[in-house]
Amino acid sequence: MPFRRYLPHYLMIAPFMVLFAVFFLYPILSGLYYSFHDWNGVRVPEFVGTDNYSKILASRDFSRAMGNLFAYIAITVPLGILVALGLALLVDSFTGRWSNFFRNAYFMPVVLPAFLAATIWRWIYAPNFGLLNIVLGWFGIPSVNFLNDTGTMLYALIAVDIWVSAGFNMVIVLAGLKNIPTELYEAARLDGASKRQQLFHITIPMLWPVLFFVLTYGLISAMQVFDKPWLLTGSSFTSYGGRRNALLFPVMDMMGRAFGGVKFGEAAAYGFLLTIAIIVVTGVMFGLRAWSERR
Amino acid sequence: MSTMRKLRRFTVWTALKWVFAIAIALVAVFPIWWMLNVVFAQAGEPVSLNPRLWPTSFSAGIDKISTIFAQTGYLRAYGVSILYALLTIAGVLLVGSLAAFEFSLFEFPGRKILFGVVLLALMVPTAVTIIPTYVLVSRLGWLNTMEGLVVPGLASAFGLFMLVQFMRAIPKDMIEAARLDGAGHFQIYWHVVLPLCRNALVTLAILTFIQTWGNYMWPLIVGTKEELYTVGQVVGLFNSPLSHHTVDTVMTANLLAAVPPLIFFLIFQRQIVQGIAMSGSKG
Repeated sequence: MPFRRYLPHYLMIAPFMVLFAVFFLYPILSGLYYSFHDWNGVRVPEFVGTDNYSKILASRDFSRAMGNLFAYIAITVPLGILVALGLALLVDSFTGRWSNFFRNAYFMPVVLPAFLAATIWRWIYAPNFGLLNIVLGWFGIPSVNFLNDTGTMLYALIAVDIWVSAGFNMVIVLAGLKNIPTELYEAARLDGASKRQQLFHITIPMLWPVLFFVLTYGLISAMQVFDKPWLLTGSSFTSYGGRRNALLFPVMDMMGRAFGGVKFGEAAAYGFLLTIAIIVVTGVMFGLRAWSERR
Repeated sequence: MSTMRKLRRFTVWTALKWVFAIAIALVAVFPIWWMLNVVFAQAGEPVSLNPRLWPTSFSAGIDKISTIFAQTGYLRAYGVSILYALLTIAGVLLVGSLAAFEFSLFEFPGRKILFGVVLLALMVPTAVTIIPTYVLVSRLGWLNTMEGLVVPGLASAFGLFMLVQFMRAIPKDMIEAARLDGAGHFQIYWHVVLPLCRNALVTLAILTFIQTWGNYMWPLIVGTKEELYTVGQVVGLFNSPLSHHTVDTVMTANLLAAVPPLIFFLIFQRQIVQGIAMSGSKG
């Protein structure tokens, strides 16, 4: 076939494909190259084999960041889904104007930039004159330094996280609820099924694909958490992670190595380690879904 | 019978449901409301006298806003952020719709492979590309420039995917009819397909705006000079432990950063919610 015939098609996709190749594919490949080199961004990169990878895996910051990440994910992802599902069911139980009103109210935090959510909450959490401590003071509870007490820091982050993401997930679940045929509920009612039976035998199974999406997407984005802990702890490239690294997460550790320690090779390797972890988690999720559907 | 049931259904449970729904709405909206109240209150008023549960002084708020604009680089950061968002929106829509037009409506060798590669990109985390992209941008001499901020984000796999989903629904007959009328390839794109996709384009533009306005990590590393600080960076500086600003000033900075996306939301709530629901159910 003459190439000329298809030329217009290629010309139209060219801008996207060129930008995509230069600013997406090339960085991935060059990142792979850097990850096997010792490089500070100025000198000629020096080949070090898998040193960068083993250095990261052996470092204390890495295990701390991973430990924090597991604890964070174990709470925030399931809790986030439960809250989103609850909110969606709640909004769905209202009709017309009120349904829209509550949906919009719950959704409002989502449109705020994540950096803003973190900075507003920093002041709500502030010791002594912060809103939360004022309220606790009314009940005679002494001031808690939420963002500087290693016992509360993680929960403080999770609260902000749920506050931001619940509305987003709720909207997706709501769309799923609307797709469930009402005949199913009518048939169940005729069979004498209670509200709770309808929830567990119709709503949740029918929502499963949507919940799966929310779960997978939530996992992937939680693994890359950055802005919120970074700003809640008032981090900079020279000092990050908060008190005793209680809010140190992998992407923060990676950015710190790149722009604080000027170790671009190590940071690139860090990025690949994270990507591998994300691919494994995504693979496991899809595997689980295939397995549960086959049963 | 039905009125009886309606009456009976308005029971304790219904009342509880309303209380619950309103309480959650308060939790969701209150931090935003509180931010507004801190700004519109006399500076330095002790919390014991005024816990900032409602705005108390309109003029004090206006004073704080004008002070911030006059004494800090906030106005310039506003300009940078708006330009960054507008250029990104224009670029994402143009480049994405051109490619989506081809991928969704035509057959040509390599179409499936190229589209497949782009879809894979949806699964690759930012973490793996951000450092090498930074290195590339600095090699190009684009650090601290608007190009460096905007260009790397233009080939949006998400945007392309969304537009392709939408354009697939356009009947091929319409394209054929336009062609028989003598319209060229680009004319079909511009005069037939784009007008049909107006809703999808508006939704993508809004989502891109919210995302660009809220992007913190990329501007943080690309714009290290004050001239290219975005609103996000300025807000970060106001909030840093080394800043000597009082809560009033910091909240004013925060409020100013929140206003554009909140206004956008109030105007375009339907498109925003539908756009997110669509991206979720199709994912």
